[in-house]
Amino acid sequence: MTKSALDDIRVLDLAGESGVYCTKLLADLGADVIRIEPPDGDPLRDIGPFWGDERNPERSLQFLHNNTNKRSITLDITKPEGKALFEKLVATADVVVETFQPGYLDSLGLGYAALTKIKPDIILTSITGFGQDGPHANYAWSDIVGVAMSGMMNLAGEKEDPPNRPYGNQSYICGSIDGAAGSMMALYHRDLTGEGQHIDVSMQEAMIINQETARLTWDMTGRIAQRTGARGLIPIDLPGIGIFNAKDGQIFAYLGTPGGARWTTMVDWMEREGLAEDLKEGENLEMVQSLDLAFLSSLVREPDKLPARIKVLSHMRQVFERFIANFDKWYIYEEAQKQRLMIGIVSTPEDLAKNPQLEHRKWYQDVDHGDGHKVRLAGPPYRLSATPWRIHTRAPLPGEHNTEIFTELNVASSDIDKLQSAGVI
Amino acid sequence: MTKQVLEGIKVADFSWFGAGPICAENLGRYGATVVRVESEAHLDGLRSVAPFAMQPCPACEGKCCKECLNAGRVTKTGYNVSGYFNNYNANKYGVTINLSTEMGKEIARKLIAWCDVFITNQTNRMVDRWAFGFDELKKINPNIIAAYQPMQGFDGPHKDFFGFGAVLNAITGYNHLSGFPNRPPMGIGTNYPDYVINPGHTLIAILAALRHRKKTGEGQCVELAQIESVVSTLGPVVMDYNANGNNQIRKGNRLSYASPHGAFRCADIEWEKQPMDRWVAFGIFNDDQWRALVEAMDSPAWASDAKFATFDARKQNEDDLEANITDWTRDKAPHDAMALLQSKGIPAGVVQNARDVHEDEHIKARDYLEYLDHPETGVMAYDGSPFKMSKTPGKLTTPAPTIGQHNEYVCKDLLNMTDDEIAEALIEQALY
Repeated sequence: MTKSALDDIRVLDLAGESGVYCTKLLADLGADVIRIEPPDGDPLRDIGPFWGDERNPERSLQFLHNNTNKRSITLDITKPEGKALFEKLVATADVVVETFQPGYLDSLGLGYAALTKIKPDIILTSITGFGQDGPHANYAWSDIVGVAMSGMMNLAGEKEDPPNRPYGNQSYICGSIDGAAGSMMALYHRDLTGEGQHIDVSMQEAMIINQETARLTWDMTGRIAQRTGARGLIPIDLPGIGIFNAKDGQIFAYLGTPGGARWTTMVDWMEREGLAEDLKEGENLEMVQSLDLAFLSSLVREPDKLPARIKVLSHMRQVFERFIANFDKWYIYEEAQKQRLMIGIVSTPEDLAKNPQLEHRKWYQDVDHGDGHKVRLAGPPYRLSATPWRIHTRAPLPGEHNTEIFTELNVASSDIDKLQSAGVI
Repeated sequence: MTKQVLEGIKVADFSWFGAGPICAENLGRYGATVVRVESEAHLDGLRSVAPFAMQPCPACEGKCCKECLNAGRVTKTGYNVSGYFNNYNANKYGVTINLSTEMGKEIARKLIAWCDVFITNQTNRMVDRWAFGFDELKKINPNIIAAYQPMQGFDGPHKDFFGFGAVLNAITGYNHLSGFPNRPPMGIGTNYPDYVINPGHTLIAILAALRHRKKTGEGQCVELAQIESVVSTLGPVVMDYNANGNNQIRKGNRLSYASPHGAFRCADIEWEKQPMDRWVAFGIFNDDQWRALVEAMDSPAWASDAKFATFDARKQNEDDLEANITDWTRDKAPHDAMALLQSKGIPAGVVQNARDVHEDEHIKARDYLEYLDHPETGVMAYDGSPFKMSKTPGKLTTPAPTIGQHNEYVCKDLLNMTDDEIAEALIEQALY
């Protein structure tokens, strides 16, 4: 078997929802990640959707996705016997990832300073809403709090609606990505110097750069960017820019941007399909030949010239809308891209599942979940030629590796039984 | 000063726009020597995108206040005044190499021989044109780590499909899944995957490759197909289709396992003589938090209605629930509402705008933003470290290079070119 980048690394995974993607990233690069679940049930196993559409702690799709390649033990680290076992594990570990309220591990006697007494070069990675210090360090958080406080949420949605939260717990995702990168950076340093350290990720901070230019616009010009909805900053509906309805769904078009084909290419295509109407005539043709992003910017700069152009522009838009409505979204997407027209399909989950590019690249991973059942999981975020990303094992059942791991720690099997009946494991 | 983690690691940054440059900037932030390659013949588009630094106003003698910034002053012009570009290119040396000249290609090869890590987010077509494929690079530098960020990967029927972050938002499902169901899938406001998802995943992969190289001496190829990097973060929703046939659609700000969950309107403020709407966001994930919310609201009569007594009941009556809560938030300042809810242990945050983020006491206390003085923009605030390291903190020390700022330094000091060679490269417009 080829090597993995982290096959000599052990990670103890105490992460809740905010950091469970971080430990997945490490596990899929080959680390031995031991997920530590509370004996009365890991709350992540309660989060739907569920495989089979029925609540079942062994079938949370969130859990199955985020815990590939990990081993699971159940352990109550708040009980003295549990804490002692955890400390034994720390002695064998390289990285601990946690998402508790800052100070909580300290209160158990398991904070960074205490861990270094057990394992001097340990790396502790903490992923929290606001980081380990500062006036909001003890604020409660969930995904929407990180997104809102970063300034990102202020930018999405229609003016008449509440600001939109981006789908998919993005502040957990960004916090986890930064947590994994920080853990890897700390490992590199440890390999060089033998020194461990504490990595502090704030979800709010992790999200701020996603504001794009809004933060800099304030900093440099004193203007506050607000959500602008489907039209963006452009005051009128433009041809070939925005969301359009195909026969069976939607496409997103951004024609006229640098690097892409021009409107003339678009109209040639429309003509080949017999749907160009009158766009090759008179003032329409003139507009087709001049319309690009630079031309649009000049319209915004010289609004007095806009009214004269609006009639032609909205006619072009209507012809474009009629053209798109004639075809399936996949046809539009693939045909447009072949001609370097900047159009993307608005994918639904079904479209993602059936995407021919992902299919060709064998991206999805069919992972055996026992009894001959395979579950189709998301594939690699990156492909490394010498130390490949890999899913070798499905997500664990609760405490599936108790015996295996506690035996590794030289706990006698009679003691394992005792700890179980005491509710420690 | 303590030694930085990546001190001694050399990075040749042949990328542009967001996803590549941000990754390379983060390598530089933790100590790597990064050379950013550009060309006036193939300009990074971000150099031409706002916001731009403003002309100093005579009244303030160059030290402008926010008020006068809006008084009709004009922006500076040229390639070096875009905050958008600068923010992703601090801690880098800037060199302009015209890759359509033979001599430019020769200088690029020297840089490839010099570096440990090569990174690009150019399309497969440009990578081929410039002979930057992994096999080509290995001939020049056998142990190189080369990271590529093609939109759809190196191969397959869509390998030459193109776009930028906004198109990727559509293709990967973010647009279909974000926002309110009665609205078209308009997207999430920015070219989102360019800023953390793709540069962050690439950084992880490069660090994995560096670790392997340190152990074995062997380099490798990192291929981050941007579509795959993004969809990998959306695993469960695709699994729900594959396993159950559920084809989910956007549900606004609601969440299946919390209720209420969303943004609630607070008191409007006036900004630039217009009303500006303000919002507080929070979610209630369990009955303890629900009781805390009722208490925070001073136990209004509606809250004891059976309609809201349990999680399932609240889910069923979510429209009414949200309307009732808005009655309570509507006359409050958002920061007051957040502080009150937080004092009861409820996860709550203001929907902050860019100004709020700059003035956020917590962000200030943690020194997240880093202020660097740039010769043409003056002092501007750069995004800070993605993670804080207790022993080896990252730091931005030099602002983004002006175009071609370090041509001589890079050629002479890093690539050991002679003065004559450099002069010839200038005359031949290879350093352009």
